[in-house]
Amino acid sequence: MNEQALIQDAQGGNLDAFNTLVLHYQDNVFNAALRIMGDEDLAADAAQEAFISAFKGIASFRGGSFKGWLMRIVTNACYDELRRKKRRPTTPLEPETDDGEEMDSPRWLADPNMTPDQVAEADEIEHAIQHCIDSLPLEFKTVVVMADLQGLDYKEVSRAVRVPLGTIKSRLARARLRLRECLQDFAELLPANYRLEEGMSA
Amino acid sequence: MNRRDSELLSAYLDGELKPSESKRLETRLKSDPELASVLDDLRATRALLRKLPSRKAPRNFTLTRKMVGQSPPLPRAYPIFRLATVVATLLFFFSFGINSFGSQLASQPLAYGIGGSGGGGDETLPQEAPAMESAAPAEEPLAPPAPTEEPAASAATGEAPSLDSASAPTEVSPTEDSSRIVEPPASKTGEAENFAEGEQVQAQAEAPRVISSTWQVILVLIALAGLLFMSLMRYFAVRRWK
Repeated sequence: MNEQALIQDAQGGNLDAFNTLVLHYQDNVFNAALRIMGDEDLAADAAQEAFISAFKGIASFRGGSFKGWLMRIVTNACYDELRRKKRRPTTPLEPETDDGEEMDSPRWLADPNMTPDQVAEADEIEHAIQHCIDSLPLEFKTVVVMADLQGLDYKEVSRAVRVPLGTIKSRLARARLRLRECLQDFAELLPANYRLEEGMSA
Repeated sequence: MNRRDSELLSAYLDGELKPSESKRLETRLKSDPELASVLDDLRATRALLRKLPSRKAPRNFTLTRKMVGQSPPLPRAYPIFRLATVVATLLFFFSFGINSFGSQLASQPLAYGIGGSGGGGDETLPQEAPAMESAAPAEEPLAPPAPTEEPAASAATGEAPSLDSASAPTEVSPTEDSSRIVEPPASKTGEAENFAEGEQVQAQAEAPRVISSTWQVILVLIALAGLLFMSLMRYFAVRRWK
């Protein structure tokens, strides 16, 4: 995929070229939205809005990391979606069993190649991590998602969330410390090599 | 551990420290096991986050042209047909207004000339005129005092029986007079009215149409043809676009 050529074509109004970029980045955009929002449906809505906004504003893309530029747009889309949700609160869509009981973890999202035990374990770890991410303030959450989940460097995160580099450093450090404390409550779920030492405090 | 140290450790993990800062921190880490332990914890936390499985998008987020408000490129002639259709439609509706206004103008001078009153008021004024005329004869018994004074003079001379007979005709005569007086003008205005209305209808029927019905048909045909061509252009443009 020649990304630069596709971007130029998309800037000229070529929707097919832009859709090729969408197919390439849609998992990244959706995952970023999912981790920030903590809800699959809201994340899908935010991702769709982000791509619409990206196409409409692609003329303003002036080079650099296209993924970083998309992350900025999806961050804004998530903030908009959260603001809308705040204005019109709705009942969260929790996964339910056949008996109508709420499930602890979203099993239908699991990798089909995993064994049931692996699925259960992965679900529980994922659930624990998502729970801890959800407990963070929004501005910390966004920075952690961009840096640790999407792998952006500090400059790209700074551009994506539009805050100075020093603030990114500070927020990321504090977010990681908070996550460390939160994940200690799920120590028994974590793999041995990732198990955090108890009793360590900041 | 203070905030500055946690920021240093976090940035060190990400390779975002300057070489000099990194060296200083590494020296401290060797001598400070607590700091080294926090660094290990932060590294494990970061590794856990990075291990978080990436979800597949639940659906494709590819955009349709409708989503982004794109419309198919229409032929250059399209605006010309659109303008022609709009102008023809407007003229068509205008033609009715112009024709009715023209016929009104044509009928007005005739109504004034024959009815003696304005075209619009010729229905009310002739009705008022007989009313005024009929009111005038009702006052007439008071106006001509001569017939009533004569019997009074004869009563004074002792001719009492002749008073009733003399006064009776005088009481009846005004009404008879009034009916006799009223009727002719009423019938006159009625005739004038009928005549005026007849002339008006005739004038309206004979009033020349400013825009002939042929032109109106042509305008309708232009508008319909414009619509047809526009629909065809749009249809083929969408087909080519898809």
